[in-house]
Amino acid sequence: MRDIVIGMAGSGGDGIVSAGESLIAAAASLGFHAMMTKSFGPQIRGGESSCRVRLSTRELHSSGGALGVAIALNWEDFLKFGSELRCDDATVVIYEAKTGVLPEHIPLGNIKPREIMAVPLAELTKQSAGTEKAKNSLVLGLLSGWLGLSQDTLRKGIQRRYGKKGEEIVNGNLRAFEAGRQYADAHPSQTPLRLDAPAAATTKILTDGNDITAAAAIFAGCQFFGGYPITPSSEVMQFLGKEIWKYGGAVLQAEDEIAGIGTAVGASFGGKKAMTATSGPGMSLKTEILGLATIAELPLVVVNVQRGGPSTGLPTKPEQSDLYQACFSAHGDVLRPVLAPTSVADSFHCTVDAFNIAERYQTPVIILSDQEIAQRKETCDPIDTSKLVVEDRKRPTPEQLEKYTRFAASPDGISPISHPGMKGGAYLAAGIEHTESGAPSASGAVHARMNDKRFNKLLPLESWSGAVTVAGDAGADLALIAWGSIGGVALEVLDLAQAEGLRLKVLVPRLLYPVPKEVYRSFLRNVNSGLVVEQSHQGQLYKILRMELDLPKGLVSYCRSGANPIQPSEVLAKLKALSADARRSLS
Amino acid sequence: MTALATLPPAQFKSELKPIWCPGCGDYGVVQAIYRALSAIGRPPHEIAFISGIGCSSRIPGYTTAYGFNTVHGRALPIAQGLKLANPDLLVLVAGGDGDGFSIGGGHVPHAIRRNLDLTYIVMDNQVYGLTKGQLSPTSPKGLKTVTSAYGSLESPINPLLQVLSCGAGFVAQSTPADMPGLAAVIEEAIRYPGFSFVNVQSPCVTFGEEDQQVKAHKGRMQSLASKGHDPADYLKALELATHYGVELYTGVFYRNPNPPATYDAQVRERQAELQKTAVPRERILEMFQKG
Ligand SMILES: Cc1ncc(C[n+]2csc(CCOP(=O)(O)OP(=O)(O)O)c2C)c(N)n1
Ligand code: SF4
Ligand SMILES: [Mg+2]
Repeated sequence: MRDIVIGMAGSGGDGIVSAGESLIAAAASLGFHAMMTKSFGPQIRGGESSCRVRLSTRELHSSGGALGVAIALNWEDFLKFGSELRCDDATVVIYEAKTGVLPEHIPLGNIKPREIMAVPLAELTKQSAGTEKAKNSLVLGLLSGWLGLSQDTLRKGIQRRYGKKGEEIVNGNLRAFEAGRQYADAHPSQTPLRLDAPAAATTKILTDGNDITAAAAIFAGCQFFGGYPITPSSEVMQFLGKEIWKYGGAVLQAEDEIAGIGTAVGASFGGKKAMTATSGPGMSLKTEILGLATIAELPLVVVNVQRGGPSTGLPTKPEQSDLYQACFSAHGDVLRPVLAPTSVADSFHCTVDAFNIAERYQTPVIILSDQEIAQRKETCDPIDTSKLVVEDRKRPTPEQLEKYTRFAASPDGISPISHPGMKGGAYLAAGIEHTESGAPSASGAVHARMNDKRFNKLLPLESWSGAVTVAGDAGADLALIAWGSIGGVALEVLDLAQAEGLRLKVLVPRLLYPVPKEVYRSFLRNVNSGLVVEQSHQGQLYKILRMELDLPKGLVSYCRSGANPIQPSEVLAKLKALSADARRSLS
Repeated sequence: MTALATLPPAQFKSELKPIWCPGCGDYGVVQAIYRALSAIGRPPHEIAFISGIGCSSRIPGYTTAYGFNTVHGRALPIAQGLKLANPDLLVLVAGGDGDGFSIGGGHVPHAIRRNLDLTYIVMDNQVYGLTKGQLSPTSPKGLKTVTSAYGSLESPINPLLQVLSCGAGFVAQSTPADMPGLAAVIEEAIRYPGFSFVNVQSPCVTFGEEDQQVKAHKGRMQSLASKGHDPADYLKALELATHYGVELYTGVFYRNPNPPATYDAQVRERQAELQKTAVPRERILEMFQKG
């Protein structure tokens, strides 16, 4: 086996998520590519919890489709996760025998899984560890046996995880692990589940989108973060709250999101790279000050980890429905760069890019992440940071400071920016329209000139080489466009299409706004049909592209509200149907 | 940090010509600020002056300091971010009663409890000047304005009492009717190491009430010093503050005799301590490495 998805669910106390975490950590150190998503019920503690861990010998782009192995510690909790733990006729189902459900009666509706095993999980744990609490270690033992994962690595993981809790607990968990392992050996699965060895056991990074975004901010030289906690973005602030001080920076937990972005704008005015992070409701509150940063031409990075909306919406589920807000939420004429990462690793690059763009063009930049990327754990190959460029804002030279003009006209629209403390650089920054010197002005001519300046300086972005990722068969007339976490699904669709001999090309934009029009035009030149796939009710990117470009008639929107994952298989089926239709209409 | 005791007040006056109505109290406030800054002696480029929106919030542009005329009600958060970015700066914050106690009211308690070394000057004219005469959060109950045609139904906020009860370490009040006193409390506020607040009853000649004009202030004002008030006496300060809106007390209500460490100083300490443990930025991802 080269690729498998394991899904597990239980009640909070079962430690299902911690089993997943141990599994992915072991897999990462063995050199597998791996991805893990977790999901919880609405309760703060206890409640039901689940996780999906995908392991592969090849690079992964999405958390995958139907489960290869499903583990239900009880059926009630398992079923609550519905489409997140989808089973099909290839799934091997393992469940708690104590539930009393007969294998022929498991509550999966019409689905006939490939293999069903009732395992006395609680009983085996109790017998081996003396407590049912070690169930997660028993599950790890089972998986280690059936998937053929190194016992040593998993055992070391258990020792590390429980080390602080004392020897007794460590030993109990190790005994449970051993019991699981022996059970698996004594009850081999009919279905082949053993994973091939990874190509090369290279060192891997294992982290999630929020943590790597925060780490990237530090790498990019961010020295100030102001924000207000909100799911699913809080981890960005939490990470920086531990680390940023070491780099001469500060984190301020503000009284609300307005103050969060306000402090960040203040720090940027003070000459420091600054950032805030939030999710939909907080983004709505930040809008006015975003406009201030635009007109005062202050660099700023704003992360929006999207969740389902509007209002409180679906706080813990991914959706891509804040794109309009990111691009257009402003009064007045505003052009604001919007970037979206497509994976955990790309969250690093996207954040570095966002700081560079913000500093280079003296503008706020929005990073549109989403709950899926932000909170999923993923292995990445190490990033060679020595190859990355970190830019800083253009500061005035001593000569320029002799007669300083903050918003001086220049061929590229970018004026050197001073900051308080700099002798000769004093000026009035303002939300009010201003002349080149910063003096308030209500003149229509000044306003038009300054709007030109603020728009024109961003034009080079449209031909930025990092604006999109293109993959697949360049000559194909069938296209797939998707962004953010769904961009990963698109790349996975491409793998499936190629395996079936379907000619397809894929474009995943990282710069969503301004729309890199020429790049799209050349990509779409020979395209007859295709899909713009999005996790939103409206299909916002599709509509923005229609507004900005002449799209081929056959390129249509395929979108669905959040929380209901879009599967590579369904996109592929849709693409095949489109391509067949197009052939028919041509012949 | 440079201190040149020789900078004359005129050094702090910018070339921008104020567009306030002739006779507006804010002229007096900006004059007093020039004098106070002259006495402090820091050069203009080491000073940053942050404001919100309103007639009063135009004030930074009339100084030679770095200015930031931000958005309505958000001067305090922006000033705090700036101060943390560069704690060496002298940071002044200013705005109107509406800017500070209505739309920006949610930020005041937090700015106070954080206790950054900032000076916040409110030009309290008990009315909305810029938008032409609407009710303000400090307008007296029953005031008839364009938005309260039959008289307001709500009681005013008491800025002094609010700021004192939130724990501000320095709280004073003055009026342009007493220029030396106004310049003196602003200077003292700047010198206080921590969050300091000056409520300036700054007359709006265009929309303000008769008893809120300079002439009336001259007759009504009573200096706290002449009443024998000891600014170290917090409870007495609270009691005196309750007379806001009735009596016009000028001078220092409260000065914490033992100023606690400021937020910015603590941030510096934390940075200095933790900087020793930093891995180079380029290697930040190593903490996520497995295997
Ligand atoms: C978000 C927002 N709401 C409303 C306004 C309109 N506005 C500008 S200043 C102001 C009130 C001014 O009163 P105050 O703060 O007391 O200052 P003054 O003009 O009296 O000095 C209002 C309502 C605005 N600029 N922004
Ligand atoms: S309206 Fe009132 S506050 Fe505004 S400038 Fe005129 S007098 Fe001053
Ligand atoms: Mg006012």
